[in-house]
Amino acid sequence: MTLQEKIDAKQFVLCGEIGPPQSCNGDLIREKSRYFKGWVDAVNITDNQTAIVRLSSIAAAKILVDEGIEPIIQMTCRDRNRLAIQSDLLGAAALGLHNVLCLTGDHQKFGDQPEAKGVFDLDSIQLIATVAKMNSGWLLSDQKIEPAPAFLIGAAANPFAEPFEMRLIRLYKKIQAGARFIQTQPVFDLEVFSRWLARVVEMGLHQRCAILAGVMPVKSVKTLLYMKKEVPGVRINTEYIDRMKIAVDAKEEGIRIAVELIHQLHALTGIRGIHLMPVLWESIVPVLVKEAGFQPRS
Amino acid sequence: MSIDLVTFDRPPLTAGERKLSHFLLFFENLIKVPLFKCQHCGECILSTTAFICCQNCPKRMRNGPCGGTGEGGTCEVFPERKCVWYKIYSRAKLLHRVSLLYKINKIHDWNLEGTSAWLNVSKKRIDAPIWFVRNDQQAVQDRLADDAAREN
Repeated sequence: MTLQEKIDAKQFVLCGEIGPPQSCNGDLIREKSRYFKGWVDAVNITDNQTAIVRLSSIAAAKILVDEGIEPIIQMTCRDRNRLAIQSDLLGAAALGLHNVLCLTGDHQKFGDQPEAKGVFDLDSIQLIATVAKMNSGWLLSDQKIEPAPAFLIGAAANPFAEPFEMRLIRLYKKIQAGARFIQTQPVFDLEVFSRWLARVVEMGLHQRCAILAGVMPVKSVKTLLYMKKEVPGVRINTEYIDRMKIAVDAKEEGIRIAVELIHQLHALTGIRGIHLMPVLWESIVPVLVKEAGFQPRS
Repeated sequence: MSIDLVTFDRPPLTAGERKLSHFLLFFENLIKVPLFKCQHCGECILSTTAFICCQNCPKRMRNGPCGGTGEGGTCEVFPERKCVWYKIYSRAKLLHRVSLLYKINKIHDWNLEGTSAWLNVSKKRIDAPIWFVRNDQQAVQDRLADDAAREN
């Protein structure tokens, strides 16, 4: 079953995430992919995340397909104008990549080449609408494309950044534009997340798309503190920081927190899956999935 | 549902219109630059963004804030500034213009960059400004109810 079929059948899905290397070594991706194969339904491939040049998302996704894993390519608007976006998407469809996560992209200021020109020709909502238009058989120029691609369109949501109400409007617009699944930022504050989710359910948005909650296992308290300080739009409950601080084995505690969060999120109405983001700790995925009590995926 | 992303029956500006646009821009800038820090996109959506120019966003977002707004509504790129969309939402709430934020704004037409939005409105290249919003909350409710009906 493909991710699209699983989402249509309202199954509870698990996604992973791989960041491609800053080199042309495809074996690094094959190596990381071992930790996901059979444990998750699909794996995101980031697109130059934090504006640092990495191996291309589409190329890395093709490597995953060859390894027998279903990838979700990420497409950002920072590096491409509308022509390049459509061309890359046609290329992705030709390679058999049918899941795309549409993002605006981190600002180039945060990357290794802050002097670069950020494109931002489209924003994520307009990108979603562009992919939806391509799905219906048209390019932005109203040129017919035959055959039409059949992308499963995803989008991101951040329940933890202000202005909170505007976040819901944005989510609404993304679904209106054609997003079929939503991946959230990593949850480290269940209270704020539940409040956001309650509003989403109230607006009836959870029925129009599958919401996958982000979970990030962390190795040490340092990672948590770094995220709290340096990553914009992230919210971390001090409870987790305290727990990681006093833990005898920080890694064990990190796993325990992640599993606990998966269980708590699974129990919430409106959550249709978990998106695991084991940044630089891919090897932990099988452990997490087992500990959380999920069956291995076929 | 199909969304009209770009208007294609939009004729390019003629040489005469460019001249007229240049002339009008002088007056438009006198108002829009000091009041709204106009960025001359030529496709003005000020009226739907509570009269704050969204093109001051470093990512030039036309449909709402990116995911990086910090605590207290700071911009992730320039932490000393407030996020433009944070300001827009706060003011839209104050002016009861929140329902206008639900509209998906079209992809920017770069042909219009640096032209007079007043001229573009009069030539129907872009949508006319919306001055009055009646019953803002009801408009939001109606929109959500319509979608729910369409879904079922």
